Amino acid sequence: MLAATQYGNYGLWSPPMVSVHGDGVDSLITTLHWFMFLLFVPWAIFFVYCLVRFRRRAGHTASYTLPKAKISKYGEIAVVIFEVILLVGFSVPVWAEYRTRPPVREDRLEIRMVAQQFQWNIHYAGPDGRFGRTSAEFISDVNAIGLDESDPAAADDVQTINDFHLPVGKDIYVRLTSMDVVHSFSIPTMRVKQDVIPGMEIPVWFKIKEDATSENLRAEMTRAYPIGRVRWDRLRHHIATEDYKDRTGQVLLAKGGSLGGTFKAGAELIDKLRQAGVAEISMQPRHPLELVCAQLCGNSHFTMKAQLVTHTPEGFDEWIAEQSKEVTFDEDF
Amino acid sequence: MSEAHAHDLPFWRKYVFSVDHKVIGIQYTITAMLFLFLGFSLVSIMRYQLAYPGRDIPVIGKLLGGSIVGQTETGYVLTGDGYNALGAMHGTIMIFLGVVPLAVGGFGNFVLPLQLGAPDMAFPKLNMASYWSFFAGGVVMLASFFVKGGAANSGWTSYPPLADIATTGQTMWLFGMVLLITSSLLGSINFIVTTVQVRAKGLSFFRFPFFVWAQLVTSFLLLLAFPPLEAAGVLQLMDRLADTSFFLPSGLVVSGEVQTQISGGGSPLLWQHLFWFLAHPEVYVLILPALGIVGEVIANNTRKPLWGYKSLVFATIFLGFMSFIVWAHHMFMTGMGQTLSTFFQATTMIISVPSVIILTCMIISLWGAAIRYTVPMLFALAFLPMFAIGGLTGLPLGLTTSDIQLHDTYYVIGHFHYVVAPGTLFALFAGVYYWFPKATGRKMSDFLGKLHFWPSFIFINGVFLPMFFIGMAGVLRRQFDQTEQLHGAAVQGLTVMASWSAWLLLISQLPFIFNFFWSIFRGQKVGANPWEATTLEWFAPSPPPHGNFATTPVVYCGPYEYSVPGQKSDFCPQNVALEA
Repeated sequence: MLAATQYGNYGLWSPPMVSVHGDGVDSLITTLHWFMFLLFVPWAIFFVYCLVRFRRRAGHTASYTLPKAKISKYGEIAVVIFEVILLVGFSVPVWAEYRTRPPVREDRLEIRMVAQQFQWNIHYAGPDGRFGRTSAEFISDVNAIGLDESDPAAADDVQTINDFHLPVGKDIYVRLTSMDVVHSFSIPTMRVKQDVIPGMEIPVWFKIKEDATSENLRAEMTRAYPIGRVRWDRLRHHIATEDYKDRTGQVLLAKGGSLGGTFKAGAELIDKLRQAGVAEISMQPRHPLELVCAQLCGNSHFTMKAQLVTHTPEGFDEWIAEQSKEVTFDEDF
Repeated sequence: MSEAHAHDLPFWRKYVFSVDHKVIGIQYTITAMLFLFLGFSLVSIMRYQLAYPGRDIPVIGKLLGGSIVGQTETGYVLTGDGYNALGAMHGTIMIFLGVVPLAVGGFGNFVLPLQLGAPDMAFPKLNMASYWSFFAGGVVMLASFFVKGGAANSGWTSYPPLADIATTGQTMWLFGMVLLITSSLLGSINFIVTTVQVRAKGLSFFRFPFFVWAQLVTSFLLLLAFPPLEAAGVLQLMDRLADTSFFLPSGLVVSGEVQTQISGGGSPLLWQHLFWFLAHPEVYVLILPALGIVGEVIANNTRKPLWGYKSLVFATIFLGFMSFIVWAHHMFMTGMGQTLSTFFQATTMIISVPSVIILTCMIISLWGAAIRYTVPMLFALAFLPMFAIGGLTGLPLGLTTSDIQLHDTYYVIGHFHYVVAPGTLFALFAGVYYWFPKATGRKMSDFLGKLHFWPSFIFINGVFLPMFFIGMAGVLRRQFDQTEQLHGAAVQGLTVMASWSAWLLLISQLPFIFNFFWSIFRGQKVGANPWEATTLEWFAPSPPPHGNFATTPVVYCGPYEYSVPGQKSDFCPQNVALEA
C-alpha cells in the first residue's frame, strides 16, 4: 500500500522538501525554469526558421540591408524587467528570511556542529540549554569536539557523530564551524546549504514542517519496484518492507534487510529474487533524510554524511533525555 | 625583418624558439590541443568511476600508476585521491592549458596581427617568452603527476586549508600556475599594444573585425584579473613552504592532531576572494574569443554584415567591465549577508544583459542571409543555442535563493560546461576549420568535418544535458561515488548515460584528429581566400610569409561588407575601396 505523496520522493527533479522556507526556494527555481523555457523555445524556433528559410540556394542572395528589429530591444527590456522581479520579488525576501532573521533565542533549539574530515560532530546542549566548554586539548576518539567534562555545563551535553536528530515544527539554529578544512553543511531535502569554514562560526537556521517525521517520510517513500528495474546502485540505501522468499520458503530478503553491501552481493541477490519469481519488491529508505558535505574536503569527501532523524517535539525530548554523554555512532552509516 | 632574412634562420630559431607570431600561434594551437585531449582523457577515466563506482577499470586500469589507482583482487580501481587529482587536473588543464591558450595564444597570435594588417606582434620576443612560459607551466603541471602523492587534488579552485595541507602536487600546481599566469600577462600586454599601435592605415577602431575587439577586451581581462591570483598563488606557496598563515586560521586540528606549527590568524576566505576575482573574468576570457570567432564565421557564411556591430562592440566592452564585479556570486554560501549578496545578485543579473545583446545580434544576423553550411559554420551555428542554454542556466545560480539548492551541484557543472564545451570549444573548432587554409594553404576535409560535427553535437548534449537533472536532484559535484547518498543513488542512471556519451564524444574526435594531420599534407590546396572573406588576413598569401603582407595594406571600409548592392562580387575586401 503506497502512501499519498506530500513531500515527494527522490528522482529526476528536486528531492523531497521538508523545510518551511524551502517552498520559497522551490518556487523561485520553478519560476526561473519556466522563464528560461519561455525565452529559449521561441528563440530556438526563430533560430531554426532562419536556418531553413535563409539557406543558400539557387536564386536566393543575401540582403545587405539590416533588418530594423525592434523586437530585440523590447525583448531585452522584458528580460531586464523579469530579472528585477525575480531578484526583488523572489530572491531577496527568501534570502532575508534565510540569512538575516534568526529565530529568537528563547524559541529555538541551538545546536553546535563541528565538521572534520570526514564526519559531522554534533553537540547538543542537553536539557539545561547550556553548552559545555570545548577545547582542542580534550579531543580524542570518543570526544571529537573536545568537550571539557569538568565544566558543569557539560554534564548533560550530548555529542553524536553522523547521527543528527532534530524536532519538527521548531526553529533550529545550528552554529557551524570546522576544525580542519572547508566543508559545507548541506541538507538537500531542506534546501539548506552553508559553507563551514575553519576559524569562523557561522549560524544557519531553518524549521522542519510539522508532520515531516522520519517515520512519516519513510512510509511516504515506500515504493513497489518491479524486479526488472531493481538496481543495487539505485536502491542500496533502501530496506525491504516485507519478507521475500524462494519457492522452498527460505527468506532471500527479510523485512528491514537491504540488497547488500556491495554491487556484487546486490546483483546476486536480485538475480536470486528474479529466479524465485518475485515480481516486485516493496522498499523504503533506511534513513529518508541525510546531511551531506557539499565542499570538497579530501579523499573520502563523498562519505561525509550524517543520518538525519526527525522526531515530534516530544519524541525529540525523549531522545535527548535518553542520551548519555557517550558518543553515539552508527557504524552502519 | 625581411622574408629572405627569415629563411636564413636555423631550424630551431625558425620553428622552435621563433619570434614570428604565426609560428607561435601554431605552437600554442598544437600544444593546447594536445592538452585538451589529455584533459578530456582524464575525465573519461573519472566518468568510469562515476558510472560504475568501485568497479575495476577495464583495459587501461593497469596502465594508470601512482596514487591514481589501487589494486584489487581482480584488477585496478580509482582511488579517492586519484579521482580528486584527475578532477583538479582536468579543470586546470582544460582551462589554463587548453582553452585559454588555444583561444588567446593560438587564434589571437595567429589571426590578430593578420587582421590588423600588421607584420608581427609589437613585441615579438615577449611573444616568444609568453609561449615558453606557458610551455614550462604545462611541463610542471604534467610532472606533478609523478611526484609522491600525485598531482594536486584539492579541486581546480585549490581552496585552503585543504590545498595548504595537500601533498607535493599542490606545490607543483602553484608553481605551474605562476608560470601560466606570467605567460598570460606577457601575452595580454603584447596584444593590447599591437592592437592599438600596429594596425594598418585606415583601420580605425570601428573597422576592427569583431574578433579583434573580442581579443582586445580579453587581453584587458587577463591583464587586470590575473595578477591577484598570481599574488594569491605566491601566498599559498608561502603557506606551504615557509610556514606563513595567509590562508590558515588558528587552532586547526587535522586528523586529530593540533597543528601547532601553524601560526594562524589567516583567512581561508581571502583565497576565495582572490581566486574568484580572477576566475570570474576568466569565464569571459574563455567566452569572448569564442564569440569573436563565431562572429567572423557567421558574417562570412551568411554573406551579410553582422547585425548591430556597434552594439556587439559596446556589449563586449561592458561585459568585460562587469565581469570584474560579479565574482562573489561564487561565494553566496560562505555566509554572505543581505546587502553584499543583493549587490552581487544585481551585478550578475546586469551582466546577463550584454550577453543577451551579443546573442541577439548573432541570431538576427541570420535574417536575410544566404547561409552556407560549411563545416566552420556548422560549429558556429551550434555554438549559439549551446551558449544560450549555458547562459540561461546561469540565472538560477546567480540568485542566492535558488543557489541554495543548486550551488556546488551538477547543475553548476552542466551550466559552465554548456558555456565552455559545446559553447567555446565548438567555436574553437569553427576557428580551426576556418583558418586552417590560411595557416597551411590547404583545406580540411568537409566529409570528415561533418563526421566530426554531428556525433560531437549529439554526444556533447548527451554528456551535459543530464547534468541539469542530476544537479536538480541535489547531487553534489566532486563526489567519488554519488550513490553513497540517497538522492545521488536515485539518478545514477543519468550519470551512466552521461558517461557513455562522454566516451562516444571522445571517439567522435578521431575524425578531427585524423583530418587535421592528414590535411596538413594531403588536404585540398586552396588559394589565399578560399572562403571569399573580407578581412585582411585573407589577403596575405597562404601560408603567410614572415612579415605577412607583400605590401602594407590600407583599409577602406568596415570588416563585413558582404552582398553590397552594386558590387561585382558578394564580398568587398577591407583593403579595396568600394566601387562607386
